[in-house]
Amino acid sequence: MSLYPSFARPNSLAQASELLAGLSGGSVIIAGGQEIMPHINHGAMQPDIYIDIGGLKELRGISEADGVVSIGALTVHRELQGNAIVAEKLPMLADAASRAGGGRQVHNRATLGGNLVAMHPLYDIAPALLALGAEVELVKAGETRRTSLAALMHETSHGLGSEAILVRVLVPAMAAGTGWAYEKLKLSGGAYGSANAAATVQLDAGRITAATLTIGAVADRIIDAAAAVQGLIGQAWTAAAAEQLELRCPALVKQPLSDQQGSGEWRQAMAGVVARRAMAAAVARAGQK
Amino acid sequence: MMDDLLVQSVLVQWRVNGKLHEIEAMPGMSLLDAVREQLGLTGTHMGCQTGHCGACTVMLDGRIVKSCLTQAATLPRAEIVTIEGLKRADGTLNPVQQAFWDEAGFQCGYCAPGMLLSAMELLAEHPDPTDAQIDTGLAGNLCRCTGYRSLVRAVKAAAAKMRETS
Repeated sequence: MSLYPSFARPNSLAQASELLAGLSGGSVIIAGGQEIMPHINHGAMQPDIYIDIGGLKELRGISEADGVVSIGALTVHRELQGNAIVAEKLPMLADAASRAGGGRQVHNRATLGGNLVAMHPLYDIAPALLALGAEVELVKAGETRRTSLAALMHETSHGLGSEAILVRVLVPAMAAGTGWAYEKLKLSGGAYGSANAAATVQLDAGRITAATLTIGAVADRIIDAAAAVQGLIGQAWTAAAAEQLELRCPALVKQPLSDQQGSGEWRQAMAGVVARRAMAAAVARAGQK
Repeated sequence: MMDDLLVQSVLVQWRVNGKLHEIEAMPGMSLLDAVREQLGLTGTHMGCQTGHCGACTVMLDGRIVKSCLTQAATLPRAEIVTIEGLKRADGTLNPVQQAFWDEAGFQCGYCAPGMLLSAMELLAEHPDPTDAQIDTGLAGNLCRCTGYRSLVRAVKAAAAKMRETS
């Protein structure tokens, strides 16, 4: 740490990347500040250098091309909630963004990039993006790399590393007729979830032809519950299928979180409950415009 | 060469409650500290410094934010409104402040500056808000006195008054 921290506001992605590559650690990237300011206010984090990426226009904007929605990392939750492209092509992401805690103040300022880089197990955006098969574009030392969000989030603490910048999130547009739901179990309005689940489903003549399911807020990583939904393919969504899904999910939670949001044993059970609710709501919505 | 970008402080220009200020923002300093310590506007309250309580809410470029979670140096130019900027030109309370006064929306008053700014954004977006919209609009502000019912009443009273006069 330094008693005299310094600050830089690069005005292009190339400049920011070059700057980061030339620093020997102790630097931190800041944009909206919602994730790191609590640590700075309380002295838990004392960076030598702040790199303010808020001025990088390469990290802004939402567009769609060839069936993929490209969302700049500086996009705030409020924009995800109200953007026309997101509302039409990725309604589950708009919904998940509206469920984030912290109030409107945080929705107005918290960025998509900051949310993902935080890799916080209780946050709302990542489960939805993982269920939608999102990819991310990163820049490190001038090199642009594209990878799946799932690969990025495999490491809970340092998936990115301080020299990389998350530039954009690339999400395949949801196919017409896709059923979807984001389910969040929480104790009170502004609270973190005790368990949450994001589901998508495709139906053909009442039978499930494809489905994705992720479960968050129950373990230190978001769980891909593909193994639990595999058994649903080819079946109709019946009471028995719902029960099967609910019973399969707790076993996927190997090391449950046990915190203010609830005990580990309860969280495992709730993983099944939110999974069932999310899939039921997704099935109910499938095929509707 | 890139080291040229590193500075020890940032000169920022903000219009705060209509008045232009130029201040020296140290790296790491929050907007909350800048407003309270450097501009002397102590109506913006410091609560938790973690983003939970909302007492430090101000309006930044037309949107409410938690000033403790916003770093001053990241705002080279900004339009800021604090609680001190809410009263009307003749010095009387604005309709939202008046409704909070009439409906016992203030008890200890600590959360009030933030609560009022959140209520103003809520009413700008929803002139006739439902209970659910009020809950969502005030979700980022904690109050430990009122139990929130008088706050909901105050927002509805303000909404009625504003619709009447607009």
